[in-house]
Amino acid sequence: MAAASDFTLPTIAGPPLALRDMLAEGPVVLVFAHADCPTSVLALRRVAAAGEGARVVGVLEDSPEDAARVARRTGFPYPVLAQPEPYDVSRAFAIETVPTAVLVQPDGSVADTVVGWDAAGYERLLGVALDGEPRLKPGCMARWTFDWHAGGLDELDDMFERGWSDGLPVVPPTSDRVEAMLGGRDPARSLGAVPPAHGEATFERVAACAVLAGCRPHYFPVVVAAVEAALDPAFNAHGIAVTTQPAGPIVVVNGPARERIGLNAGMGALGPGTRANATIGRALRLVLTLTGGARAGGLDRATLGHPGKLTCCFAENEEASPWQPLHVERGFGSETSTVTLVAGDAPLSISDHRSRTPEELAATLAWAAAGQWSPFWWPMDDTSLYVICPEHAALFAAAGWSKERVREAMFEAVQRPAEELRRGETTPLVKESPYGTMVRKWTSPERIVIVVAGGEAGRFSAVFGPCNGMQAQVVTKEVRWST
Amino acid sequence: MEYVSPIDERTSAPVPFAVRPPALTGKRVVLLDITKARGAEFLDRLEELLIARGAETFRISKELFSKPASTEVIEAVAFHGDLAVEGLAD
Repeated sequence: MAAASDFTLPTIAGPPLALRDMLAEGPVVLVFAHADCPTSVLALRRVAAAGEGARVVGVLEDSPEDAARVARRTGFPYPVLAQPEPYDVSRAFAIETVPTAVLVQPDGSVADTVVGWDAAGYERLLGVALDGEPRLKPGCMARWTFDWHAGGLDELDDMFERGWSDGLPVVPPTSDRVEAMLGGRDPARSLGAVPPAHGEATFERVAACAVLAGCRPHYFPVVVAAVEAALDPAFNAHGIAVTTQPAGPIVVVNGPARERIGLNAGMGALGPGTRANATIGRALRLVLTLTGGARAGGLDRATLGHPGKLTCCFAENEEASPWQPLHVERGFGSETSTVTLVAGDAPLSISDHRSRTPEELAATLAWAAAGQWSPFWWPMDDTSLYVICPEHAALFAAAGWSKERVREAMFEAVQRPAEELRRGETTPLVKESPYGTMVRKWTSPERIVIVVAGGEAGRFSAVFGPCNGMQAQVVTKEVRWST
Repeated sequence: MEYVSPIDERTSAPVPFAVRPPALTGKRVVLLDITKARGAEFLDRLEELLIARGAETFRISKELFSKPASTEVIEAVAFHGDLAVEGLAD
């Protein structure tokens, strides 16, 4: 058996402890862990719940303050040692994963090792029953393995270890970056509690999310407006966060902010390729995920989700639109910058290069949504967000059609007899309607929200899927540039 | 390296499960229908089984499944029940 190296480390409450002194009283189980590893916290909590009796010592790759905090949070009743950088004790024991429990015999030999959380393994080491789930959980990388000073993994991996990510690499939110993002704003000012876990969206946390997302500091007012919109009760962020549906927030920016921060309303507006679009939508998602606790597979219960939940933000191409832009339609001045949130899921592209009349084009656009939510779910009492491309908008404009007329025509175009819809997931209205009753796809034309975006060439519009049953209203907030 | 956390640590604290009663006899069980489709059917059957085991039941519904329960509903659950069962999904 391998021999354990002797060491002396500071404790969180009392004088330093040496391994040889601990071993003088009998075998010891060393539990290597660190504060940013959920499995470590789980192991410490479960060992703590087993009650005192075994000879256990926590060896945490943390500052004494952080180690004390973890011990307090987990109720860990045993001695806790704080191991500073460069984590020589972990290196000496070749601990690559935390938690790792090591049984050291009085003669210094290592008799047994358990890597990660393995309830049966801990029962073996401690000689006690450890009931409850989970029985197994993989651990995290020990800190010395991603100590960038030592040439190991870098700070980007550190972000993943902390769980501060949406699955893609992020920009580490250093104090300097967050301060720059805040731009002199009060870091403690709160925008409110973020559902579903109700973490408080202080400016500082929102700024941290904006840094993580890759925002430039002058995007921050737009991010703040997006968070304000999401926290408006009318948006029902709680329902959207926890639903099994794939829906998430769609961010539409109007007004001078578009040019001021370089948002793309033109070619490829829905992505990819523009930093402002990609990072503002991502920042909002990170606020919901990290501050709000809506982690996929955790409180976010989406069965599938969709790629647009990573980020979904674009600007309206007001210059290519023959109509009032969305924010003016919703009561704001044309020179006011706004963020509008719509709850919805993935966009469906609608090609129409053949229609020559506004009636034909309205029908094409409208029928594309006929299968939304579920093919037999008529009428739909939810928002369908249409992104009309400039060429389609121009066809309507040439015929003198207002946005209202387009909306009415689309609403009237999509009708089917109730008896054709009495299959699968259908509505009470369809079930109860007499034979021959015509049912529309939407409950009213107001359910159709229209914006213009995209490049000047190509006749591809799109419609975002709905968020059903949430009573999630469209919410618009003004972007405030000053603090 | 020092970072600014995006996480409100107060949300990370685990909330332990309430102590489970050893038996249902004489217990008041609130059955909360969150108004998801067919949730009431599930709770109907559960109510039969609970009554057969000697429990008393009290039915209540949320206003909308996708929004948090109102204070009135939460208070009613606490007032009428020793235990609560929530019919969660369709």
